Amino acid sequence: MARRLRVASDVGGTFTDMVWCEVDTASGTAGAVQAVKADTTPPDFEQGVLAAIAKAGVDLGAVDFLAHGSTVVINALTERKGAPTGLVTTAGFRDVLEIARGNRPDLFNFNFRKPPPFVERHLRREIDERTNVQGEIVREPALDALAAIVAHFRAEGVTAVAVCFLHAYANPANEQHVAQRLRELMPEASVIASHEISREWREYERTSTTVLSAYVAPTVERYVGALRHGLSERGLAGAPYIMQSNGGIATVAAVCRNPITMVESGPASGIFAAAALGRLIDEPDLLVLDIGGTTAKCALIEDGEVKVGTDYYIERDRKRPGYPIQTPVAEIVEIGNGGGSIAWVDDGGKLHVGPRSAGARPGPAAYGRGGDQPTTTDANLLLGRIDPATFVGGEVVPDWAAIDGAFAPLARRLEMDNAQLAAGIVRIANANMVNALRLVSTNKGYDPRDFALLVCGGGGAMHGVALAEELGVRHVIVPVNSSAFSAWGMLLSDLRRDYLRTSLVDLDDGARAQVEALFSELEATATADFAEDGAQNPPRFERFADMRYLGQEHTVKVPMAGADTLAALIDRFHALHEKRYTYRLDGAVQLVNAHLVALIEVPKPSLPERPATGAPLATARIGSRRVSFDRQGAHDAAIYDGLALEPGMAFAGPAVVQEPSATLVVPPGHGVSIDRFGNYHVHLGAAEA
Amino acid sequence: MQDDLFTIEIIKEALVAIGDEMFAALIRTSMSPIIYETTDFAVGATDARGNLLAQGNGVTGFLATLDTAVQSTLLHYPAPGDVRPGDIFITNSPYEGGGTHLSDVVILLPVFHGDRLIAWTVNKAHWTEVGGAFAGSASTQSTDIYQEGLHFRFLKLYEGGRINRGIVEIIRANVRLPDSTIGDLHAGVAACRVGGNRVLELVAKYGLEPVLGAMDELLDYGERMTRAALARLPQGVFEAEDVIEEDGVGNGPFAIRVKVTVAGDRMVADFTGTADQAKGPINTSMAGLVTAARCAFKAVTDPDIPANGGCFRALEVICPPGTILSAQSPAPVSVYYESMIAAIEVMWRALMPHMPDRLPVGHTRSVGATFISGIHPRSGALFVMGEPLLGGWGASAGADGDNGQFCCGNGETFNIPVELAESRYGFEIDRYAFREDAGGEGRYRGGRGVVLDYRITADEAFLTFSSTRTVSRPWAAAGGCEGSHNGAFILRADGSEEPHTMVTGLRVAKGETIRLLTATGGGYGPPAERPAAAIARDIRNGFITADRAKEVFGRPE
Repeated sequence: MARRLRVASDVGGTFTDMVWCEVDTASGTAGAVQAVKADTTPPDFEQGVLAAIAKAGVDLGAVDFLAHGSTVVINALTERKGAPTGLVTTAGFRDVLEIARGNRPDLFNFNFRKPPPFVERHLRREIDERTNVQGEIVREPALDALAAIVAHFRAEGVTAVAVCFLHAYANPANEQHVAQRLRELMPEASVIASHEISREWREYERTSTTVLSAYVAPTVERYVGALRHGLSERGLAGAPYIMQSNGGIATVAAVCRNPITMVESGPASGIFAAAALGRLIDEPDLLVLDIGGTTAKCALIEDGEVKVGTDYYIERDRKRPGYPIQTPVAEIVEIGNGGGSIAWVDDGGKLHVGPRSAGARPGPAAYGRGGDQPTTTDANLLLGRIDPATFVGGEVVPDWAAIDGAFAPLARRLEMDNAQLAAGIVRIANANMVNALRLVSTNKGYDPRDFALLVCGGGGAMHGVALAEELGVRHVIVPVNSSAFSAWGMLLSDLRRDYLRTSLVDLDDGARAQVEALFSELEATATADFAEDGAQNPPRFERFADMRYLGQEHTVKVPMAGADTLAALIDRFHALHEKRYTYRLDGAVQLVNAHLVALIEVPKPSLPERPATGAPLATARIGSRRVSFDRQGAHDAAIYDGLALEPGMAFAGPAVVQEPSATLVVPPGHGVSIDRFGNYHVHLGAAEA
Repeated sequence: MQDDLFTIEIIKEALVAIGDEMFAALIRTSMSPIIYETTDFAVGATDARGNLLAQGNGVTGFLATLDTAVQSTLLHYPAPGDVRPGDIFITNSPYEGGGTHLSDVVILLPVFHGDRLIAWTVNKAHWTEVGGAFAGSASTQSTDIYQEGLHFRFLKLYEGGRINRGIVEIIRANVRLPDSTIGDLHAGVAACRVGGNRVLELVAKYGLEPVLGAMDELLDYGERMTRAALARLPQGVFEAEDVIEEDGVGNGPFAIRVKVTVAGDRMVADFTGTADQAKGPINTSMAGLVTAARCAFKAVTDPDIPANGGCFRALEVICPPGTILSAQSPAPVSVYYESMIAAIEVMWRALMPHMPDRLPVGHTRSVGATFISGIHPRSGALFVMGEPLLGGWGASAGADGDNGQFCCGNGETFNIPVELAESRYGFEIDRYAFREDAGGEGRYRGGRGVVLDYRITADEAFLTFSSTRTVSRPWAAAGGCEGSHNGAFILRADGSEEPHTMVTGLRVAKGETIRLLTATGGGYGPPAERPAAAIARDIRNGFITADRAKEVFGRPE
């Protein structure tokens, strides 16, 4: 059997996506990536996965590798469908979970209420124990008290228990004793102690993380169990791998021990795919924008690396403090701005786009399914940017009457015609996305002009070049099959674990050995954890140091190189600090967290090259039409069939490249080339290219 | 031209986003926890004349401090050429624009396009140390401004791009934590530069006239939105009065009074009748009072749209000079914030009965500012902790009050994590919990105050603490019960318990505990109408005992 299959599936809100490709085991070369969609099937999400496999006609017996991303954790959290959870914590501190940080982001709303805690007060129970800030055990836990606590939990139907003690990040011994006894006393419950999930300080954030982990643990165990069972019944020999929020995959056993790592399982895969593609085509510094139907996600990739941090929240926005989760998550900014985003006008006469979306039902007005408000997609149709003849892959004839009906009231109010309103909607939508891209670049000390912009998702190609113009970016990359790009990313994931540990080390002369010892310990833990998974080879490591000037709170993540002297590390910190915060100080430097990334690489399919037949460009040209570009006005644009474009071809805007599920809009003045894989490269201001 | 409409919209958005960018820049660069954890600062931009364009707020309490600081700077430098490219100004003067107390320092950067002044970027931040009689520059005992620290009255910190070394060295020689204080200074300058550069980028991209036009339109937009909201409010004249218990040096109580007139699309807040300025540092100046009135105004008009100068064109604030809310030099102002938030709350107290969907009943109404200093037992270095306290908020018509939230003068303020505090300061924390005693009962109950126990591990430590609502209680409405008190207690080695409401530099020995208590908010509606299920839940959650529930609610569970 020389041809084996690699499969990835991703459960989304509406659809369950599945992608797969054949790999020649002898050469390692992969065939084209294929994809199917099936309906997502809550609450038994695994049914949708199995349906997608059946629809694809994939023989699970021929599958070597199956990676799976799922929204099961985020759904359980946002829909409050996790397990009844109890918390055991240090005496005197049971209200930490509800006091939270006390902040009121909705500053002038004096009727503000904090989001309610996931564990009500009577289920937050205290144990007399204490560890001090140096990690010394001041009092061992009073284990005798646990029997009464367990009795109360049982009476209240609790099936998940979180344990979080002060300073357990420094010394988890007390937590270990209590967790062990709880597991004995309550074998039916999922018990999770904070040090098993996070070794970082800040007790509220760590308690919140542990509580949310426990809250979803039974759901994850049930789900992963059912999925595994269903797959093996249908012939899958091994176990599936689960996508985590850090962009890596993990074994089923590892995910059940640390279920909260699934919280952003899947959404990050487009970003990681971009990093992989960037390495392949030698574009290591990328701004990535993935525009879907409801939201747009963006991230910054520097030197081929997606940034992963633990400063993550659910349900946080400008008005709500949200709930922190101290687990490694790819740093992504997501905004409510996609193809289906609805345009509206406020009391002051200001036009807004999003965050409300027409979703899949009723969808944009053009779908003719009852959508009666203008969306970004409708605006793109009105402006001639989307070809009405191939709208939604040619499956939908745009309902022009519905579009007119949706646009007329707003256009009247703003005293303009529909086309002007459409232009305005696209500009406002673009401005929203530019602001999001600034959040990941300018606001963190990066100049967008130093990056190429990679756009993907259904709307990426449509808006990418206009955004690049706004940001001063010179080079836009639209990957082959851009609308299904994130699914491809899942076929590229490595096994990954992130270890972060808070340990304050003043980086003076003697500190090198201390830092080395810290990382060595983490590496030993990682090696042991992967061995427990059954890994054959030891992991590859990447080290990062979260550092600050003495006296500061917030840290800068500094990548470390193996041969780093302390001085080199500190120099790099100074440079990164200056880049991000505009100044450097002479003061002492401190390490706050050691961050170790442990990776075990899995064989990946190579990206197939697109054959070049030498056909002339004219064979790909399918006509021309009047297209309204934003700043450049309306022009007759050349229309190309994206599937007929070949490596080596080049042309200039005004042009539109059409694929069944993506449209690349190229205003005048910019050049386009096709690389050997079939990716489009738009070079701004290089019309002669 | 319609395209221009959207260009203006996009520039407006970009102007508002400048506040966010400056906010991120300052929070990330500051070396003082009171800035990066408590977010006791504000950043923003104004037009050339000092009309507020956008403000990034950590707290509500700085709402009228950026624009008025620019306006006063222009009064100090009135001649052409007084304000030049490369200049950066510094002020902490309490009695003029931008004024609160000396600890809150304003940095102002004029933005020039060529040689034309087109905007200002500004930040105001609480520096941990500005010198003065007591560590942390906080005092409940000062009787004039000279005791409260260094006073910069609209000085040029930079002139023509060069820093004034003299000012820096005066600071270095006069504050207890010079590295931290000078770090804050640089952070403030960096935040202003971030904002200034963004304004100039906008001009480079869209041209000067469109950007200036967008500034005007942004202000008009704020005014339109606000007037539309005002016109929907109940019309009439609404009055309230309240008290501030003491001034820190033995005087009080002091009455504060307000008459709020909502008429058509404008609001007038008249504080005439408020007590004269006090001898002790409880006074606030007019800038603080305008901030207070703007906060209450914003809460009942449109808390959603970003605040700008246009929003406040419909608000007039009246108060004769020389009251406790409009103090004149050289009145001490160190704990001005207690009066300022009392002014916010008295205004909301006047409006609440008529706008019960927007406002709850009385809350903890105190910052509960707590400063503990000493020598760190492990590092041997001086530590100074400064933090506000969380307290209970009032119930509203339809919901219990929020448990443990910072007062109305704070906002995006974060408490200091126990694990960080124990690393940094010479104490351990034995308890951080909700209060379980009486107060705030009602159909809807007040939110719970908190209790916080700091056990000193340094050889000795010194406490400076101030709060109000120590004799008066958070008010109730519709038959609910008043809330409880704020206060500090020292649990002495001899077993005694020593109460304090305003104290400066109080010595506490190793092993003794500073216990801080914050008020539970007021209740709404008669306790007898509280549903049985809600009472049972309170009992289960330990907020009230079954016996007391029977007493208060007149029925079992």
